[in-house]
Amino acid sequence: MFDKILIANRGEIALRVLRACKELGIPTVAVHSTADADAMHVRFADESVCIGPPAAKDSYLNIPSILSACEITGADAVHPGYGFLSENARFAEILADHGVLFIGPKAEHIRLMGDKIEAKRTARKLGIPVVPGSEGGVSSDAEAAKIAADIGYPVLIKAASGGGGRGMQVVRDAAGLSAALSSARSESKAAFGDDTVYLEKYLEKPRHIEIQVLGDGNGKAIHLGERDCSLQRRHQKVWEEGPSPALNTAARNAIGETVAKAMRDIGYLGVGTVEFLYEDGKFYFIEMNTRIQVEHPVTEMITDIDLIFEQIRAAAGNQFTLQQSDIKFDGHAIECRINAENPVSFRPSPGKILHYHPPGGLGVRIDSAVYQGYSIPPFYDSLVGKLIVHGKTRQECLMRLRRALDEVVVDGIETTLPLFRALVRESDIIDGNYHIHWLEQFLARGGMEA
Amino acid sequence: MAKSPKSPIVDRDLIRELTALLNETGLSEIEIEQDGQRVRVARNAASTPAAPRAAPAPMPASGAAASPPDLAKHPGVVVSPMVGTAYAAPEPGAKPFIEIGSKVKAGDTLLVVEAMKTMNQIPAPRAGSVIQILFEDGQPVEFGEPLVIIE
Repeated sequence: MFDKILIANRGEIALRVLRACKELGIPTVAVHSTADADAMHVRFADESVCIGPPAAKDSYLNIPSILSACEITGADAVHPGYGFLSENARFAEILADHGVLFIGPKAEHIRLMGDKIEAKRTARKLGIPVVPGSEGGVSSDAEAAKIAADIGYPVLIKAASGGGGRGMQVVRDAAGLSAALSSARSESKAAFGDDTVYLEKYLEKPRHIEIQVLGDGNGKAIHLGERDCSLQRRHQKVWEEGPSPALNTAARNAIGETVAKAMRDIGYLGVGTVEFLYEDGKFYFIEMNTRIQVEHPVTEMITDIDLIFEQIRAAAGNQFTLQQSDIKFDGHAIECRINAENPVSFRPSPGKILHYHPPGGLGVRIDSAVYQGYSIPPFYDSLVGKLIVHGKTRQECLMRLRRALDEVVVDGIETTLPLFRALVRESDIIDGNYHIHWLEQFLARGGMEA
Repeated sequence: MAKSPKSPIVDRDLIRELTALLNETGLSEIEIEQDGQRVRVARNAASTPAAPRAAPAPMPASGAAASPPDLAKHPGVVVSPMVGTAYAAPEPGAKPFIEIGSKVKAGDTLLVVEAMKTMNQIPAPRAGSVIQILFEDGQPVEFGEPLVIIE
């Protein structure tokens, strides 16, 4: 397939990609900042290259440095992981100019889905249901007021160049619209360098349900079911599960096929995730992520498909053999993202892990790059690891998750493990009865103080 | 068992002769055994890097492998500011920028690191003498890799 893959990322996802490469018999190159010289994936890779000082902009986001690392190691492909340069179309193009393959979608699709207004337009054209809202950016308060009146309050003001849950404001009535628009514009300009905003209907209690897709770049594409990622804090996912407690087989097949067909129509290459809000039986497209996602293990556990393998195979061309009929869903999986943060205040807690004991047993998976004695650097995200649990039923999965959470030890730093131990005992969670505001409401009413 | 004859007196003449032989031939060590006595004269290799005969040969594997952490912490170390390929001379076949013992001023070019077809000159951060060269011509280098030690 490839002579050598360079992994342009760090932490647990770098280790994840490395594992897949080793199983496929492909030599690996790890790149790292000086702060990550002791990282697990650096130790396991066949070769490593230090590409810069700790700051991400000088290392993991440093395109020339990564390109040089490809040059001196002879890597012919780069896997960008998630975050960092994974959705940077220019990076993909620069690699191509230098004869290095970017393991990901075509640059045009990265660009298309990176612009949230264009993405929505494209989704609508492809027959994917979207949230009612403005056709594009709103150019005046008067235009915004008319659209808001048409779609009905409450409305949401969103930044066109935002994403990942950032740059959004709720407006409950016409009186608050003007002020909210100007504040949203200036925040967007400051955060994303672009003050274009658009309007959408605000859904009160939707679930966040996303569909995993895989395409060969030549008009073949399949879906691998959904993940329910409704439990979020400040728009960051915290707990993901699949299948969604809210969907039945018919609903899943219907939305899955709609999305897969859209991917066939655009000739999508590689893995991707189409994200929806789901309320009262209806799906509303919000955005598409053109990369492997943090929560991909949930899908892997219920389909028994290695998504990184499939990503690499799709990128290599002529290797894509999966058909929709090959995709079967078996049992239930839940993933908890364990962060190095105080479980009540969520203040970051970088530092040295003095004791580490990961849980084990049937149906228990930990995707983490930490080890006993490892110091979590303060320069990057606070993810310690992901605990993913599988069971034959949702009930069995919850029991296994409770046991695994009680067993895991991460000492020396604060982590959000207590949050998950509390959630797994909450009746709404046990019943699967939650939506995207549930977690913040739980925290606000002192759910963790109990 | 016969007692071995005592020889408390060291044969200085023999040693001088052997030393002269050592210098004359350029050998590093001579050992002879005579009448139950064994004498070994060896050249002390550890001290000065004043090996005029050697080409500006870097102290490659041995020097670097001996104690890389120490080298990286040496106050006079110059490390690579980028990823690329290190070249000792401005062009293939040209004279290297420096050799062991070279005296440099701040800003003098020590080597070039080539990254994606652009040559980047690496300057000396301060004036001094080059006491160690830690890379080989054409060697891939990473960010922070020790290249030269200047005292």
